[in-house]
Amino acid sequence: MREDYTYVVLADDDEDDRSFFVEAFEELKIQTKVGIFKDGVTLMEALNLADTILPNILFLDLNMPKKSGLECLKEIKSNIRFKDIAIAIYSTSASEEDIENTFVLGANIYIKKPSSFNILKKILSNVVTMNWQYHTSGLNKDNFLLRF
Amino acid sequence: MQLKPIYYSERFLKIIFGLSLFIVLCMGGLAYRYIKKLSQSFDDVQLTYQIHIELEKLASLLKDAESGKRGFIISKDSTFLEPLLTSGAALDKSLERLRYLTADNPDQQENIKELEMKIDNSLAIFEKTLQLALTNKIDSPEFIAGFKEGRRTMNSVRFKIIQMTTHENNLLGIRKEKSSKRLSSAPVIVYYVLIISLVILLLIYIQISKNLKSLKEKNELLETFKESTTQSEMISQLGNWIWHIESDTFEFSDNLFRLLGEVPQSFEPTLHNFMSFVHPEDLDKFTEQMTKMMEQHDLPFTHYRIIRKNGQIRHFKSYGKILIDSEGYRKLLGTTADISDEIENYRLIEERNLELERNNKELASFNYVASHDLQEPLRKIQTFISRLEEKERDKLSNNGKLYIDRIKSSSGRMRSLIDDLLQFSRTNKSEESFEDANLNFLLETAKHDLAEIINDKRAVISSDKMPSMKVIPFQIKQLFLNLISNSLKYSRENVNPVIRITYSQTDASFLPKLRYSKFKSYHTITVQDNGIGFEQSYADQIFILFNRLHGKNEYSGTGIGLSICKKIVENHHGYITAQGELNQGSTFTVYIPVS
Repeated sequence: MREDYTYVVLADDDEDDRSFFVEAFEELKIQTKVGIFKDGVTLMEALNLADTILPNILFLDLNMPKKSGLECLKEIKSNIRFKDIAIAIYSTSASEEDIENTFVLGANIYIKKPSSFNILKKILSNVVTMNWQYHTSGLNKDNFLLRF
Repeated sequence: MQLKPIYYSERFLKIIFGLSLFIVLCMGGLAYRYIKKLSQSFDDVQLTYQIHIELEKLASLLKDAESGKRGFIISKDSTFLEPLLTSGAALDKSLERLRYLTADNPDQQENIKELEMKIDNSLAIFEKTLQLALTNKIDSPEFIAGFKEGRRTMNSVRFKIIQMTTHENNLLGIRKEKSSKRLSSAPVIVYYVLIISLVILLLIYIQISKNLKSLKEKNELLETFKESTTQSEMISQLGNWIWHIESDTFEFSDNLFRLLGEVPQSFEPTLHNFMSFVHPEDLDKFTEQMTKMMEQHDLPFTHYRIIRKNGQIRHFKSYGKILIDSEGYRKLLGTTADISDEIENYRLIEERNLELERNNKELASFNYVASHDLQEPLRKIQTFISRLEEKERDKLSNNGKLYIDRIKSSSGRMRSLIDDLLQFSRTNKSEESFEDANLNFLLETAKHDLAEIINDKRAVISSDKMPSMKVIPFQIKQLFLNLISNSLKYSRENVNPVIRITYSQTDASFLPKLRYSKFKSYHTITVQDNGIGFEQSYADQIFILFNRLHGKNEYSGTGIGLSICKKIVENHHGYITAQGELNQGSTFTVYIPVS
């Protein structure tokens, strides 16, 4: 069952961004299941449930109320149960500081939210079909930030 | 300090003084001995004469007796016998005296004994003849024989007296010779000793006057020093004090009183009096330091506050170090500085630093707002437009489509403005980001980023080989990127852009703006193009933020790119100039110091 589709999850407090995300996957027609959380707290609560299905790829917004993406990243990386989740940072800003911090904490890729829906679709399709094992093994700071 | 020669020392003076005292004493002793000997020889002579007189007296007494006897025999007048009556006693007395005078001479004592015997003998004969005379037996042979005998003994007495006198004279002669021999050298010795002591006195005088002169000079120097110390104390807000450890007394300099806001020497300089000025909050600390100072005879840097009588609070700093003088007395030399101004300045700087930090924080948060919060709504507008364009475009009228295009280009411009502004505010200098970089490589990466436009515009870019230098690499790459994209942007229509990048080194003395620079020579990089150029009068304006020489619709551009270039070059302690000729092209020259 799990082999049939990719389970992607987005944690983002911005309603518009959540709907762009969902719509993009709807139009992409890739076998995916999309889970949405509106902040870090609900995301972590759901992940920490014993019988929860863990996502393949987790898209994390950085700037969220109550629990920021950075805090979620720290929690996930400190729990061995979540070691197989690929983490994509999904943020408006691409400041050096944020990129540096999330790279050091072990995120797999950094995506700057695009300003065009078509580009968003292209990015998401690339990320979902990406060979994560290959990407992660050759990971360095230069290819950490996804360029498009 | 140079070590003083021995003859300057006090010890030397003491030695000289002792020596001369000794010499004067010797001289006195010699003179005493000389005078004593003189008086002794005088006594000797007198003694000889007294003996002479006594002997003469003896002789004359005998003569008197003899002549008295003869007178009586001739005249039968008994008055002639008067001297005879006394002569016996007188003779005894005279002999006694002679014995006394010649007590130290055994020869003469022997002579006196013989003389006495002879006198007694002569007196006995004398008596016999006198008795014969009294009984008128002058013509008797007995008398004549006695008379003759008397004359003989009398002569032997006389002879003895002469013998004694001669003996005494000889003795006197020997004594005179002996003493004169001894005394003749005495005045010469005394004279020499006198001369030597005079010379020593003279030497001492010269030395002392020389010492006095140098002492005076040193005193004057000290006086000058004291005066300049007083001056420097006043200028630098310092006060000096001395703690005499042995006597536990203090000395305060005038300025220390002034620092306390008091008239110089207006109160007794004691620790207690000084402590009455110390701020109550600092009193414990101060007392502790003073107690330590009293125990360890050393005062490390101590900070405290004092309150002047007018209520003014001043910040003091004290320091003390022990000094042992040549007499072995220990004293602690202390300096107290009024550092209130320093502290006030420090506080001001601190305040300004805080303000700057606040400003920087505000700026950083503005950066964040610009990079995140402003971009977010803009991104959404752009995303929604892209959705609208894609899904609903067909349903719009021509006007509607036009409006969509306008919104799109406006939001695009806003995006580039925000991006450029962010770029500008991030172009900061931090010393640790300087590293040796290959400029040729940085230029290639910049060209790589612009590959698309370079291709589109069919631009030709040529460049000299550049050396490696210590720079902030990403900023220099940005510099090339901005300058090349500037040249590409302002290219002439229908003319393929030709951009030439050259490198040379220029001596600072050839650059009017850098004549007084601390660097000797500058890397000089020029970027020359064949674009639309500009009028030279605008050469400085183009580097000002948001300044543009062309309308927004003619050429896209935010007016930030060249400002960033200027900022980057300034971060590298260099400067940038622009030369332009309308419709011919422009040349940008970057100077970066050779370190």
